[in-house]
Amino acid sequence: MNPFATLARLVDEAPRRALLLLAAFLAVLLVAPVVLDRYLLSVFFLIFWFATVGQAWNIMMGFCGQLSLGHALYVGLGGYIGALLWVKFGISPAIAIVPAILVAMAFGAVIGWLGFRFGIEGVYFALLTIAFAEVARIGFDNWSFVGGAAGFFIPVSAAASPVNLRGGPMLFYYVALAMMIIAFILCAALRRSRLGHAWLAVREDAEAARALGIDVFRAKMAAVVISAAMTAVAGVVYAFYQNNLFPSQTFDIARSIEMILAPIIGGLGTLFGPILGAFILTPLGQTLIALVEKIAGRAIPGVNLVFYGAALMVIIWFTPNGVWPWLKKKLGIPEGRE
Amino acid sequence: MKTTTTITRRTAMAGAAATLVAPAVVKAQGQTLKIGSLLPRSGFFAQAGQSMHRGVLAAPELLGQLGYRVEIVHIDTESNADVARTQAERAINDGCHVLTGAFDSGHTLAIAQVTEQRQVPFVVNVAAAPQITEQGYKFLVRNFQTGGQLVTNGLRLIRDVMEAKSIKFEKAVFLHANDTFGTAQRNAMDAIWPRVGLPIQLVEKIAYDPRAQDLSVEVTKIRSINPDLVMCVTRASDAIKMVRDMVRQRFQPKAIISPGSPGFYDEEFYQALGPLADFVLFGLPWANPKSNMTQAFEKAFVKANPNNRFAVDSFNAGFAFEGMLIAADAFKRAGTTNGPQLMEAVKATNLPEHVMIGGPITFDAKGQNPNIGSALVQNLRRVPTVVLPKDVAVAEPVLPFPAWQGRS
Repeated sequence: MNPFATLARLVDEAPRRALLLLAAFLAVLLVAPVVLDRYLLSVFFLIFWFATVGQAWNIMMGFCGQLSLGHALYVGLGGYIGALLWVKFGISPAIAIVPAILVAMAFGAVIGWLGFRFGIEGVYFALLTIAFAEVARIGFDNWSFVGGAAGFFIPVSAAASPVNLRGGPMLFYYVALAMMIIAFILCAALRRSRLGHAWLAVREDAEAARALGIDVFRAKMAAVVISAAMTAVAGVVYAFYQNNLFPSQTFDIARSIEMILAPIIGGLGTLFGPILGAFILTPLGQTLIALVEKIAGRAIPGVNLVFYGAALMVIIWFTPNGVWPWLKKKLGIPEGRE
Repeated sequence: MKTTTTITRRTAMAGAAATLVAPAVVKAQGQTLKIGSLLPRSGFFAQAGQSMHRGVLAAPELLGQLGYRVEIVHIDTESNADVARTQAERAINDGCHVLTGAFDSGHTLAIAQVTEQRQVPFVVNVAAAPQITEQGYKFLVRNFQTGGQLVTNGLRLIRDVMEAKSIKFEKAVFLHANDTFGTAQRNAMDAIWPRVGLPIQLVEKIAYDPRAQDLSVEVTKIRSINPDLVMCVTRASDAIKMVRDMVRQRFQPKAIISPGSPGFYDEEFYQALGPLADFVLFGLPWANPKSNMTQAFEKAFVKANPNNRFAVDSFNAGFAFEGMLIAADAFKRAGTTNGPQLMEAVKATNLPEHVMIGGPITFDAKGQNPNIGSALVQNLRRVPTVVLPKDVAVAEPVLPFPAWQGRS
């Protein structure tokens, strides 16, 4: 699996019009900070961040068919390791990403091994992932070295240092954008690889895949471990963006649910689904807040969330397989191609 | 007679300074301060956020009477740090000169990132994480106690009530929710209890899940220990469960005291328990019932929120109002909405007359108000009533508790 070769192949195979559109879109995103104010920069950061973690989760659920409802675990582990190494030992997050990835992979491997070795599947596997996230929350709540329930804090600094993720929203905009693009290329490469095909086979019918000689256990383990690693990277970035970590918020199941909405709405198992989903959901939430204020003349708590829920229902009603498969059809992109 | 006026260099400098400042002050008199109030009015913290919001609704009337002109923008953080941060950006884009908030420490710190980078003053009204004022933020002040201060003051008040009522507690149990707030308070308790030196044997610390259907197991455990004092850190619904299970199991301690937590003063606690809600005690920063400003604020509160009781909301509403007062007063003195200058004025705040118990509102070099006091509050006839310290108390503490049975 060579991501660059895959990228070259994707470019070769893609219709010229689609490529031009994509290039224009990327160019717009690259120059957008020139015109975007700080509020919109922070909204775009969230879009890119949710697209990245959505892409990571999509490997497990969309490609391999394994439901995880505890992905906040890897965000938290990545965030805590990155923050801890920076605050306590002065190790740059650029380097701390490596141990963050390794620890998240180890946790992913333990969860995967427990689940797949002992035949825990479907909703029971989902419960296992929730259990690990909850145990982590309680553990970090009581671990005084990282501040316990009172939280862990990254000191703020006026000096900008991109390598150490110290800077304003513009820095985080570009970091998150890069993260989203890399995650997309990696996922594209993985999906076209031998492993990617094994995942799809496992997703469709694990028994049939086994009969074809695919090592199902190994394929599932690879999905969990890679997904955990990608999510941990996003966790490091998020920790340095917010500069604080509270176990109750970091490992919260609501966080895990928030993370999986984009790929579900965008289109499970697709490459553009998580990105499209994030581009729909985050601005939708923000727009509804502003819209309710505009119409009512003041903020009415909860009303925008009701409309948000209703909008999700409408999207799911009209595009049950996600927005991207529907859009793909409208754009005339043939089945089997992104 | 010839009068000679000597103009010294100092007089000239003062005159020049006055000339420079005067237009700004005149301009400020014609200007309105736009304050962004960021509170979690929906989601997990909605109950507390709405309680604080009621204080914000009452603020313009009283501030107007005091000669301050403010316009308040109400923003819901949805109990979500991401929303808190993006909405803080939007509020500043929309012209807010000062932000106040945000109840939760995580949300507060998310907003602090924005205000620090945009050089807009941020007055923290409720948030207890000590690190908020230890992080070196230059555009943030906090008018609230830290978690450690809450527990320390709460425990001191237990000693005070023992002395005031000549009552002795021999054995105590500490019961706490195992959520973030409860665990943080437990950790503070572990650190502070030995230092306070209360003559009570702390026999057991029991954690519980606040989402549990009942607390019968925990109460059975407490009953077997038979302490005369139960200290607890609860939320509203689990405080109800705790009292109900104590009544059900006929467990009657001499006192139930919370050394700094919500639960016992929420309207739902009174509604659900009726007379059983009475006599529990809690040590918290509280509205000073003897302050003129509190009385004026209560009138404004009742006018703005006719369906709510000020006594029940006074903790949240009081701090929410004081956040507005600090901002408005700083604006009046600074005579400008320019962030850095307004922040200088916020830091130089000295407000002897205010709502909450304690000394004048001032801020130390880190931006923390060191003068916030705590009161021991007891539910008497379903009204949270200040019973200690004596100088602000409006009733005598009732200890030991009257029996659960036979209350009307």
